Amino acid sequence: MTFRDTLALAFRNLRQSRLRTALTTLGVAIGIASLAGMVSLGVGLQEQVVGRLTQSGVFDSITVTGGGGPLAAFGGRGGPMGGRGGRGGRGGGAPAVPLDDEALTRLAQLVHVRDVFPNLRIPVRISLDGSEITTSAAGVPDSSRNEGAYQDMAHGTFFTAGATDECLLSVAMAAQISTADPTTLVGRTLTISWAASGPIAGTDPAQGPQAFAQRVDRAFTIAGIVERDPTAGAPAGFAGVMIPLAQAREIHASLAGGPQSIFQPATSTRSYTTVTVKVNGAQHTQDVQDAIKAMGFTAFSLNDALKGAKRAFLLLDIILGLVGSIALGVSSLGIVNTMVMSILERTREIGIMKAIGGGDGDVRRIFLVEASVIGLLGGVSGLLLGWGFGRIINFGANVYIESQGGTAGDLFSLPWWLIAGSLAFALLVSLAAGAYPARRAARLDPIQALRHE
Amino acid sequence: MLRTVELSRHYQMGRSLVKALDRLTLSMVEGDFVALLGTSGSGKSTLLNLIGGLDQPTSGVLEVRSRNLAGLTRDELSVHRRDTVGMIFQSFNLVPTMTALENVALALMFAGVPKAEREGRAATLLEAMGLGDRRHHRPRELSGGEQQRVAVARALANNAPLLLADEPTGNLDSRTSRDIMQLIQTLHVRDGKTILLVTHDAALAATYARRTVTLLDGAMLSDTDA
Repeated sequence: MTFRDTLALAFRNLRQSRLRTALTTLGVAIGIASLAGMVSLGVGLQEQVVGRLTQSGVFDSITVTGGGGPLAAFGGRGGPMGGRGGRGGRGGGAPAVPLDDEALTRLAQLVHVRDVFPNLRIPVRISLDGSEITTSAAGVPDSSRNEGAYQDMAHGTFFTAGATDECLLSVAMAAQISTADPTTLVGRTLTISWAASGPIAGTDPAQGPQAFAQRVDRAFTIAGIVERDPTAGAPAGFAGVMIPLAQAREIHASLAGGPQSIFQPATSTRSYTTVTVKVNGAQHTQDVQDAIKAMGFTAFSLNDALKGAKRAFLLLDIILGLVGSIALGVSSLGIVNTMVMSILERTREIGIMKAIGGGDGDVRRIFLVEASVIGLLGGVSGLLLGWGFGRIINFGANVYIESQGGTAGDLFSLPWWLIAGSLAFALLVSLAAGAYPARRAARLDPIQALRHE
Repeated sequence: MLRTVELSRHYQMGRSLVKALDRLTLSMVEGDFVALLGTSGSGKSTLLNLIGGLDQPTSGVLEVRSRNLAGLTRDELSVHRRDTVGMIFQSFNLVPTMTALENVALALMFAGVPKAEREGRAATLLEAMGLGDRRHHRPRELSGGEQQRVAVARALANNAPLLLADEPTGNLDSRTSRDIMQLIQTLHVRDGKTILLVTHDAALAATYARRTVTLLDGAMLSDTDA
């Protein structure tokens, strides 16, 4: 007897008792809806929380500092605000690993790395409408355009691609400049000043390194104001103004160094205090972090915190899944009941099938397939039911959340693995529930079965 | 075709031991038509069930086509029921939810015959039984005689050489009984089927069978040729 014939016979038998089949299937559907709905809620909440954390850009970022060692102090020319120079002064046996442009190139070549940029903080003075404020300017790469704090600009927009004379202000800085109405600042031009180094007129550079500083002023148009402080928690500290990374690098290169910088050879490699490495997805953060450490750098990320959150949600999913499974467990008893009733009603039919050559295996398969069909139909219906209820609850919850000033989102999520898993579980439960009735049917004595009225 | 030696089927009923069949020795050759005659409880249906592979003997030898059924597993017995014997019952034993065509094709389904082929063969058999226009009717829409014809067609579906008929006319009126018996006789004469007919009707046995074996209390009382 082929599987196709068994399936056809099973469908045929189920059609004979439509109401009972429908009610049993509904029982399974409610069980699956409960299970899938519960897990879907857990997954949805996880996606909401982890997704937002991931979108913030901190979980797919690794902060890299140079390798330890006394020579690190001579890795750069000694910037005044941490923009330059290695992490000198730790005093250890490990050789220095300069975090310079060459290192940046090597970091960018690592698998799963999508961007590498130095964290530059330049001490500047900004001037607008006669007022001058001393702050730090941060270099922001173009890849940050849709990430973290730059996703939702309070006012204005991110830098125009390729722009060299635009800047962004933090909300705090905007408020400091224009307490009346910070929004009017967008589109206006401010002046950013810094201390740059250069040769002293009349001196001979061939006689050795020298240092002096001169003020440089440059006009920048305010493109936007960032709602959240994008530099909060950043290793290089607070920045009130943000400029394109290319500009920051240029300014950084021209900065007047400290007195020790005159002892650096002119050909020495420039190093950065910290570098940010962005990876393709938070799931690769740990691998990339390990690879960076293997290169001799110090690297850290907030991925561990994300792992903890995921573990907590996994536990929540398991608990919700177990609660949801109770309904499915009850519905499996419905399958057993239906199948046993079916055997009682069809005892004579089973006897006939055996008398004309049906084997125990044939009869067992027919009943198992019937149970499976109930399980699968219930599974599909349950998923639709669960999804539908999820959408309704989601709609209601979002209406409430928005009325409270919150941001709407999907509280329920039905990923493919949950769909496949629910169907597989429905099939498994129905097979388990059908196993006893199927065995009972298969072991029926044909003579007794034929005498059954 | 068939040989039994000291074949017994005993079973316990409460405290007493019932000897449904007791040390029966019997043989049938290919193409034989034997009527098993006896009163109720004589053991004739028990013997038929044993030969049909529906039951297992307590002791003795039971060979069908030189194969001892006593040592067969449940699966082997189902193959025996499918390929070697065709059974016709007093109460027809058709699946009530299936049409005549589906009932006949069901026997072929267990043999793994593809759907189109089994439906073609079932239709041909029903045509031969004079039920060509009744193939899509369910048993409750057929008369007793028609139902028994469907049952005969089903017994012939797998082309089994041995037909076992257990009181095939027991639920039919005399005219229909005669039609069914003539049909069975035709299968014997024209197609060479070996027939073992269980009946309590001595006249019927004498009319159609070549040989009559009479049982009493599970043992053979007589074995006479027609």
